[in-house]
Amino acid sequence: MSRRKRMNVEYVEPELPITPMLDMSFQLLAFFIMTFRPAATEGQIAMSLPPPDLGGPSTNIPSITEDKPQKWIAKITATEAGKIANINLREDGAAATEGEDLGADPKTFLKRVQGYADAEKKRIEAAKAKGQIIPPPKLTLEIGEKLLQAHVIQMFDASVQAGFSDIAPVPIDKAKR
Amino acid sequence: MSQSNTEKCEPNLTPLLDLVLQLVMFFMLVTNFVMEQTSAEITLPSANAAKSLDKGANEIIFLNINAKGQVLLTGDEPLDNPVQVEGYLKRLAAIEMKKTGKDKPLGTLILRIDEKTPFEKSYPIMRACRQANYTKVELRAIRGED
Repeated sequence: MSRRKRMNVEYVEPELPITPMLDMSFQLLAFFIMTFRPAATEGQIAMSLPPPDLGGPSTNIPSITEDKPQKWIAKITATEAGKIANINLREDGAAATEGEDLGADPKTFLKRVQGYADAEKKRIEAAKAKGQIIPPPKLTLEIGEKLLQAHVIQMFDASVQAGFSDIAPVPIDKAKR
Repeated sequence: MSQSNTEKCEPNLTPLLDLVLQLVMFFMLVTNFVMEQTSAEITLPSANAAKSLDKGANEIIFLNINAKGQVLLTGDEPLDNPVQVEGYLKRLAAIEMKKTGKDKPLGTLILRIDEKTPFEKSYPIMRACRQANYTKVELRAIRGED
């Protein structure tokens, strides 16, 4: 009987050098941490713009059964530096001299128009209960040409917070509209 | 004579490597190297009432407007006057209408106007947007906390 030679087999365990891999991962991590810049959250505010100059009569025939929306006009004059000089609020159809001067603070404007918007909201709800349709109130911002965008946005912000959804920006100078 | 068996004490690096790779993956996913639609040159004003983007909105087009009233385009010369802007928007509108088969562009125009842009520079661009038949035009702002 032959003896089987038992061959001594050495089992070699493969060793993976993890340390250099870890070093590289830390390098990548450091790179991405240093280049990471969280972006500020952005949002948008909708606005209404006048219809394009198409010429000819308007094809939009107003409905005789629909009540007219309440319209206000806020005239915002600007200083030479581009800040708000004064805010004048009046109802559509009233003369510019009949408007109410609210100063240069958009918060004062917000408090004033919020009352009007709330009253209009109640009117719309009461009409809706009777089956009548009243479009939402409109606010036109007549803006001085030097007013900076930061302050334009402040006025839009105040208008939206007051409850207006139909806000139209136009220049004070009618020739430039 | 006693023989001391010295055992090597090696920490287990595999879980540490897993964790580090998880962090690397996270940062790779959130890092945005190319900002196609927004421009870092524009400093936006802040507004509390600014709303987040409507996810169900049709095609969204961003227009970046700097303090000089120029519309910045990626990889192209900026548009200097409202006539150029109107032409550019009409081309975009034509492409969209051809795609959708509608007679009006349904996309939303989002204007990213620098906070130092005077209204006399930004209003002609707003007007050009309307002249190009876009009905949904919105102003972009940073959502602030008062």
